[in-house]
Amino acid sequence: MTPALAALVLMLSAGVALADDAAGLTVPVALAPFDAKAPLCAKPPGLSRILGFAEDNRRDFMLGVASGLIKAAADRGLTYQRMLADNDPALMAKQIRDFAAAKVGAVVVAPIDAAKSASALQQVIRGGAYVAAIVPPPATTILNAPQYLTGKVLGDDAVDYIVKHLNGRANVVLLTHDGLEFLAPRFAAIRDALRKLPDVTIVADISPETVDRAGGTATMQTILLAEPQIDVVLGADTVVLGALDAMRSAGKARPNQYFGGIDGEADALAEIAIPGSPYKTTVSLAAPIFGYALGQYAADWLDGKSVPQAMDILPAALNMDNLVRYQDDTADPGAIWADPARRDRYLKMYGNICYDTRDRYLNFAWSSENR
Amino acid sequence: MMDAKRVALSAALLLAVGFVSLLVIVGMTFLLGRQAESDLDKAGTARATSEAAVSLADGLQLAESSQRGYILSNNPIYLAPYATAKSEVLRQQSILETALNTDTKSAQRLGKLSEILVAKFDEMDESIQLKRAGRDDDVAALVRTNRGKTLMDEARIFISSITRATDRQLTSAIAQQKQNLSLLRLTNLGAAFVVMLVVGGVYWLHFSYIRSLSRAQRQVEVLNTGLEKRVTERTVDLTAARDRAEMLLAEVNHRVANSLSLVASMVGMQARASKSEDARGVLNETQSRIQAVAMVHKTLYSSGDIRSVELSEFLAALLEQLELSLKGAGLNATLKHDLAPFRLPTDKSVSVGVITAEWVTNAFKYAYPGGEGEIRVMLQGDEQGALRLVVEDDGIGRSEEAAPKGTGLGTRLVNSMAANLGATIDYVARHPGTAAQMTIPV
Repeated sequence: MTPALAALVLMLSAGVALADDAAGLTVPVALAPFDAKAPLCAKPPGLSRILGFAEDNRRDFMLGVASGLIKAAADRGLTYQRMLADNDPALMAKQIRDFAAAKVGAVVVAPIDAAKSASALQQVIRGGAYVAAIVPPPATTILNAPQYLTGKVLGDDAVDYIVKHLNGRANVVLLTHDGLEFLAPRFAAIRDALRKLPDVTIVADISPETVDRAGGTATMQTILLAEPQIDVVLGADTVVLGALDAMRSAGKARPNQYFGGIDGEADALAEIAIPGSPYKTTVSLAAPIFGYALGQYAADWLDGKSVPQAMDILPAALNMDNLVRYQDDTADPGAIWADPARRDRYLKMYGNICYDTRDRYLNFAWSSENR
Repeated sequence: MMDAKRVALSAALLLAVGFVSLLVIVGMTFLLGRQAESDLDKAGTARATSEAAVSLADGLQLAESSQRGYILSNNPIYLAPYATAKSEVLRQQSILETALNTDTKSAQRLGKLSEILVAKFDEMDESIQLKRAGRDDDVAALVRTNRGKTLMDEARIFISSITRATDRQLTSAIAQQKQNLSLLRLTNLGAAFVVMLVVGGVYWLHFSYIRSLSRAQRQVEVLNTGLEKRVTERTVDLTAARDRAEMLLAEVNHRVANSLSLVASMVGMQARASKSEDARGVLNETQSRIQAVAMVHKTLYSSGDIRSVELSEFLAALLEQLELSLKGAGLNATLKHDLAPFRLPTDKSVSVGVITAEWVTNAFKYAYPGGEGEIRVMLQGDEQGALRLVVEDDGIGRSEEAAPKGTGLGTRLVNSMAANLGATIDYVARHPGTAAQMTIPV
């Protein structure tokens, strides 16, 4: 343990740097590995065994999360409820307050605007309910992906392809997502990986105006005007799929191109399964599996058990060779959950928290990669 | 030995190859020089284009910084460089359009860049106007659309694309220059190698030719030496053979002379034994004639040369012998001679000797009936180069009408031999005496 880490642990145990009871941990701390055998806590009183999901929009990723939550709820005797904000942050805040008012025992949220959701989520936490947030705080359990590692997996896979199939020479388009700062390490990792090849040129490093398939298409159309020869496109699955649409429309899609995305979206998986498709890889965050885990921990919380304060969903590069196994895994997340060895390939848990210690909920942007 | 024509032809071919190599060097240098000029022009254009793209990016960045500073601080000082930056961007955009608007795709690319720049400046102008109007919420909303950032990112894509393209052109021009230099270096090295081969070949030809000549010269010298040796040996053999032949000839002449002397003695003995005066006279004449011939042979075997006879010496010896003989026979005339040196072939000398002996004997016998008197023999050349023999006396003279004294054989003999010599005979009455003259053409 480094001196800095030791100091942080000491600060945490002494309760230093805590705000007031409502604020949780606002100063970044290093979390110890999750102890599954931590002592039991009190059960949250007066809460219903309902698992609510405050969903930002109906994208594939969220559908995956929802499928895991539904399965876990079914396995643990929870009632699953979903509220779709449809990209409206104000609506999402209201929906969360509605959950609090309904004494819902657990809320899983994918915040649209973290700042606008924070107050409502703190209200839920203060009410004793379990709150799991997909990435931004506050939450009793923060789900995050090690962003740099995620980008590195994709970047390394692309570099490997460029070396093997493009003679180490490629014009690369990097479609970033500058609107979400916490994703920046992904793209930093990709740039770091590409830097290993001197003959690779990043011809465009741009965040589409809208991070969706249409935005990817529009951006790629602009890029093609400036640089017609594109060999590699990297970014989130949705924008990379849009870029592929633009390339196909321009007649510039080739089997030896490398299109690689992050998120493991269904359309990306379908593209990978097509022989000769330029789409070669998606780095999946296995949403059904971590959704299932969050559902399990929600039930544990309500049962007075200690749960992780944070959880990494580990990235996995999916391609034609391992796609079927991945699809089998995500189709049955309960089996993964029950098998620690397989579970550890997808998930890594940090810290402990329960109803009694909920004042230590995380209220800072947590990442296992923060130093 | 090497053929000189082949050597000359080979040398000419090698020199032609060397000349062609030189032409190749000059030609390559000229062509690559022109290529270098062209590459430099391209590199200059690419550099100017790259500079324009970079200046455009700088100007755009400066304009955005100016706009952002003003929006954040509401301090007009930040807007000071905005207008300048904007005009600089437009100026550099114009330069790029001039340099790059070469085809449809470039036109599309420049059109899109222009569209982005216009949109970017519209966004910045709008935000500045809103800020000046104090509409901060509207400014914030405008910024939150991220439109300005997106336009900036898109502009960067085009600018970096232009920069990369010009970099590629520069790199290509430099690579071409390097390639040209390598090519020139290789050409020079190759041509130098060829020239060295040519020089080596010519040197080898020259050296081989010289060596071949030396070898031939040595062979000639060896042949000459052998030939000289053979000539020397042959000369020695010939000299020995000649000496043997001369010795044999001298021996023959000696034997002939001795034999003739023996015959003459026998004739003399016969004469002396003869009771007939006429017979004795005839035999004496015969003896004289035989002795004359014997004298010639004696002269010949005592002389080193058998082909010709020094006539003065021969005649002097002959006359001395003859005088002794005649005086021994009781004839008392005195014999004098004046003989110019003159060489005459042996056979002619014999005839001259016989004729001289005939005339002197006649003079002794008939010129001076009283017994004493002078007989002169002269041998000299005349103005026409002919040889003239004169035997004269101061005696009683010779009468043409008188019958020949003796047998007459002497006269016939003289005429016959003179005819063989092609000589003319004259008998001149001298009052007193007679001069017998014979002119011999030489």
